Amino acid sequence: MIGGEMPAFVEDDPAAGGALFAYLVDQLPAGGQVLIAGPHDDALVDAVAARSSVTCLVRSQPKANELDARGVEVLCGTLSKITDVERYDVVVALDGLGRLCSAEGPQYDWAESLQALKKALRPGGTLLLAVENELGVHRLVDLASATSAQGDGAWLPLGEFDTKPGNPTRLAGGLAAEGLAVDWLATAWPSPAAPTLIATPNALQDGPVDALAAVTAGAVGKAYADRAVLSDPRRLAAAAVRGGLGSEFAAAWLVVAHRAPRPASTVSLPSVLLGDGPVIEIAPGLDGDWQRRVIRQAPGRDLSTLNGPLPAGRLLEELLLGAALRHDLPMLRRLLSGWIAALPEATPDNVVVHQDSPSEDVYRLLDPTLPAQTDVLRRFAQTLLGGGYAHPWPAATDLQTLTSILHGAAGLPDTVPAVEPGDEPPLPDSRREHEEQLRALRRQLADAASRSEWYERELDRREKQLRKRDKELDRARLQISAFSGTVSYRVAKLGVSVARKARNQIRKGLS
Amino acid sequence: MHHANHFYGHAHVMAEYCGLDPEHPPRINGYLQHGWNVVDGLGAGTPYVPGRPIFVWSEQTRRRSWSMGRRQATVVGAPFLYLLTLATPSDEPVERSGTIWYPFHGWEGQHIKGDHQRLVDEILETEDGPVTFCLYWHEYRNDRVRAEYEKAGRVICHGYRGYMWRDTTREFLHNQLAELRKHKRVASNRLSSAIFHGVAAGCEPAVYGDPMYLDKEDRPTAERVRRDWPELHGKHLDLAAARATAMAELGEGYLASPAELRAMFGWTAYLPTAVAA
Repeated sequence: MIGGEMPAFVEDDPAAGGALFAYLVDQLPAGGQVLIAGPHDDALVDAVAARSSVTCLVRSQPKANELDARGVEVLCGTLSKITDVERYDVVVALDGLGRLCSAEGPQYDWAESLQALKKALRPGGTLLLAVENELGVHRLVDLASATSAQGDGAWLPLGEFDTKPGNPTRLAGGLAAEGLAVDWLATAWPSPAAPTLIATPNALQDGPVDALAAVTAGAVGKAYADRAVLSDPRRLAAAAVRGGLGSEFAAAWLVVAHRAPRPASTVSLPSVLLGDGPVIEIAPGLDGDWQRRVIRQAPGRDLSTLNGPLPAGRLLEELLLGAALRHDLPMLRRLLSGWIAALPEATPDNVVVHQDSPSEDVYRLLDPTLPAQTDVLRRFAQTLLGGGYAHPWPAATDLQTLTSILHGAAGLPDTVPAVEPGDEPPLPDSRREHEEQLRALRRQLADAASRSEWYERELDRREKQLRKRDKELDRARLQISAFSGTVSYRVAKLGVSVARKARNQIRKGLS
Repeated sequence: MHHANHFYGHAHVMAEYCGLDPEHPPRINGYLQHGWNVVDGLGAGTPYVPGRPIFVWSEQTRRRSWSMGRRQATVVGAPFLYLLTLATPSDEPVERSGTIWYPFHGWEGQHIKGDHQRLVDEILETEDGPVTFCLYWHEYRNDRVRAEYEKAGRVICHGYRGYMWRDTTREFLHNQLAELRKHKRVASNRLSSAIFHGVAAGCEPAVYGDPMYLDKEDRPTAERVRRDWPELHGKHLDLAAARATAMAELGEGYLASPAELRAMFGWTAYLPTAVAA
């Protein structure tokens, strides 16, 4: 107990953790004294403890007791009470600097917290720090506002009003002001607490941008698969990476920095790390291509197919949407039929297309370990309709018709089995998409209403015509009876037949 | 849906292309553009039923249609191009000769007749070979008008476009294709579907002569056509440029497969089982 500890408080938000953070801490120099500041999950603490001597700083007393019971050395209390000066070889703060002060005592802002941690670091010591991006994709799609958080730990919900640096350059500047030099900086996706993708700004800028945009969209999509969002985070993440704004839209930035003097051995970290259990590295190969390599296996998962060159090209889903928005039917048909011929059981968010020459598209699986899917065209139809995307068949407003058209456009028969209501492919739970669907339904309803008015008017008109013809028919019948049996009778009979034909024609027009 | 879908036997051609009975094309779920135009793809005065697709010839027409408030336009390409996929190469005559001339239809009366005679003179001056005049139905039926043309050359008519689903010359486009394939050049005094069809059928196009404005015609529109497509106006054109534009206006490269068309037209259910399997 160092003072400021919180006897009954338990952190309500998850602690920093996950496979990639575990990999990062394993790359730190072994054998020294390590301070793990703030909530980090047990696996992470254990990973550090396996190689170094660990002290944890936590504000929650129940958590401190738990760590103590597991044999971990603990400083329980608030950041301002730390008296250790230049004691640690490494300080790990992957949870950021926002949960280091307890409710008691001074409430340090980001710069003050950094200053306090730096003091604890030995000259030449290393800091591993995460900084949440308040304008990151995770914030932009969040339904809830960080500034109105209601958890027990949110006694100062500052959100974007906090003073922490807002981009990697300012982050490096803030660290330099404290005498900390950045050795490595990377962006983290899709959430600050447990990223499944870490990529350096250099990789996002100069690497295989299209493929990395696809990888980023995949990482974000997986995290938000079952969560309600404001807008589709996959599109936002992919557009950001493709547009050269990956660093600005990442959920967090990670840095490894050292206090002068420069340590003899600096930490060497890869450009891109990927994984939610296993760890996969994506790094430039010898001939300029980018190679994917599984560097940490996960039990029960065969990932050997991931080893090798990262498939180059653009995500099929984005190419399809782009062609649909441009109303480029020839391209859309080419992509649909190429896809269905090459990878008929892969969803378009798991296929990358390399369009080197105009006539030759190469379709490859982005992640060959994902299970095969059926009904991939229906899923894409659902994406088009659900997302409210403009496409070349605007009158096909129901899933069945659009699926049938897509089958035709992909070179398949247009007869597709009907799907029971409720068995349609899932739609992302996104407010913007909901809004689009609502607008589309209003339009369809208005169209249907005026269509039924049109039919009523048409019916009315035909009804009047029919009555007129009936009268003519009656007159003709009268004449028939008057001229029965004579030559005139035969002429009149002809007249009836003409009138009947005319009436039938009108009826036919109605059907 | 609309009787204009049956004009010139368009629906019949599409049904044949889709593997359905060309004698009895099912109702198209929407409106099929029935002629080249510089508006939204629908003919003037077509009562548009909301929410129903317009099937237009080209992407440019779709964009224009959208800008005019039509939200449901889909590009399918011109029925004539579908007909070309059905017509076998053996239909192609060995040798082409002369010009097939489509006078802009719709002039009648004394004062036009003088202009008309000047037009015929200009045609005969311009064209090297024999000239076939192709008249629309109502001029063709008019003995006096027909006789005027017969003095200058062969006079034909492709048939009646049809009205309210009746009396459509189902073979209208077939007749037109057969005639176009006999001629080296196709010409008119106005840019029209016939010129585009002619280009698709392999004729050299030309548009010249008095455009013969109608009494209440919207002149700016006719003048806009000349400004927008100068490569298609003149007696002797740059054939590569003229062909590129004409084929784009017909929607070359945008033709849908029979399956896709059936799905768009609401015809999937009409598919004979044999074809479905």
